[in-house]
Amino acid sequence: MAERNRPADDSADERPDDEVVEIVEDEPARGKDGGVALAESEPETDKKKRREGVGFFGRIGRFFREVVAELRKVIWPTRKELLTYTAVVVSFLSVITAIVVGLDYAFAKGVLWVFGN
Amino acid sequence: MLSAFTSAFKTPDLRKKILFTVFIIGVYRLGATLPSPGVSYTNVQNCIKATETGDVGGVVTLLNLFSGGALLSLSVFALGIMPYITASIILQLLTVVIPRLEQLRKEGQSGQAKITQYTRYLTLGLAVLQSSAFVALARSGQLFSGLCPQDNPQFTIIPENTGLPYWLTLTVLVLTMTAGTGVVMWLGELITDRGVGNGMSVLIFTSIAARLPSEGWSIKQSRGWGVFSAILVLVLVIITLVVFIEQAQRRIPVQYAKRMIGRRTYGGTSTYIPLKVNQSGVVPVIFASSLLYLPQLYLQFFNPNELNGYQQWIQNNLAKPSSWIYILTYFLLIIFFTYFYVSITFNPTEVADNMKKYGGFVPGIRPGKPTADYLDFILSRITLPGSFYLGLVSVLPNFFFIWLANEQYVNFPFGGVAVLIMVGVGLETVKQIESQLMQRNYEGFLR
Repeated sequence: MAERNRPADDSADERPDDEVVEIVEDEPARGKDGGVALAESEPETDKKKRREGVGFFGRIGRFFREVVAELRKVIWPTRKELLTYTAVVVSFLSVITAIVVGLDYAFAKGVLWVFGN
Repeated sequence: MLSAFTSAFKTPDLRKKILFTVFIIGVYRLGATLPSPGVSYTNVQNCIKATETGDVGGVVTLLNLFSGGALLSLSVFALGIMPYITASIILQLLTVVIPRLEQLRKEGQSGQAKITQYTRYLTLGLAVLQSSAFVALARSGQLFSGLCPQDNPQFTIIPENTGLPYWLTLTVLVLTMTAGTGVVMWLGELITDRGVGNGMSVLIFTSIAARLPSEGWSIKQSRGWGVFSAILVLVLVIITLVVFIEQAQRRIPVQYAKRMIGRRTYGGTSTYIPLKVNQSGVVPVIFASSLLYLPQLYLQFFNPNELNGYQQWIQNNLAKPSSWIYILTYFLLIIFFTYFYVSITFNPTEVADNMKKYGGFVPGIRPGKPTADYLDFILSRITLPGSFYLGLVSVLPNFFFIWLANEQYVNFPFGGVAVLIMVGVGLETVKQIESQLMQRNYEGFLR
């Protein structure tokens, strides 16, 4: 029912399942391969290495594709929000800096008066 | 916006919190100016004047920045909040390794309190170590990179002819600075409890803010208005960029099932879980930079002219902000700490369990473990750009400064790290004030 309601999320929620399935399939396959490679000649090992290499890069590639897909779903701040937030942060910074610098100046004068010769 | 400020001050509760925070900041700055016993105030001032013209590099710049100028004047709060940060990094890393600590963390409130207690003990231990190291550096004159020789009576930071035995003076000095660190730690926790914002970050923020005007002025003096305004524009651009990314969210829709309890219906609403692109805030940057100053600190214990092979290597690579190994290590550390801190602060299993308990679900995903997996999947994907952003913002301005002037400027208050910390803390604090205002139905600053 939920699938019918939100078809857009379909692709997203398949993925974690995908991963799980793949890992489950991977483990026995690798075990079998390893056994074969140990028992038999070198070409087999080469093939295995190459396939794992592709799998590794393929996995990285897929990871990056998923990152991009998630980035597309991110809600970025609007121009107005951005400007207000920046203004607020800048004014907050200036207020605090002013307070701190004022305090520092007063304290430095006081300390100099007490400890200076 | 101004009306929001006045309404923030009209709310008695909030006014109390803000004034309390400002008061603590005042106490912190007072301690940072107050010289420790046994230190000659006038001689230290002479030394600082002597080095202002010269080039004080390495460890001292960054530490001095994070302690708000307190380190060079060997004041009561000379160590600032750094030992506390280092201790909390160490303990958080250890929770992954030591099963007992992990058990404590899972225990909830009481376990967390115990971990905090351990952090405090470790902080005091580190403070003793660091303060003795700095006293030794001050005595040998290396604190000021040899620019103020200690055999000159005008420059002697810790004079010997005070009438007290010299060992007593040194012990008191170390004790004072350690106690000062304890007090700073307490001030930070007070801010977290009774003030606005996170105490640790607010205190670092204060230290950086304290250095801003004088450093800006020295740039203007040495480089003229053109470079100065170029830097201001660059800083403004960085601020906007930081705000932009900090505000970006990935919203995960959550539906709450309707349920009847007695004669009332509850739930049936739809909300979302906001996952920020940078879920971890500025903490990874603080962690990474306080880890990277360790090699520099280590080098300070040796005579710079008599380093052996690998110390030489450290000096030329890990302790040199313009070397590419340093920059790369920095970048990688930030990425590591981003993932690490996200995994500590956001627990998908817990969130999924909570949602299940209150009848919430993500449309199309089963409650319980599949939801936790889904959240984890999104979080690990969305954190990658977040960590890259943190790394780039802290590293890129360094190139600009190296190109502009020299390495001396890399760690100074306009560098990427400092701006990132300032904006991050500012945003966090303002939002906290804002949410407190909203609770009382005032219009906030952010509309």
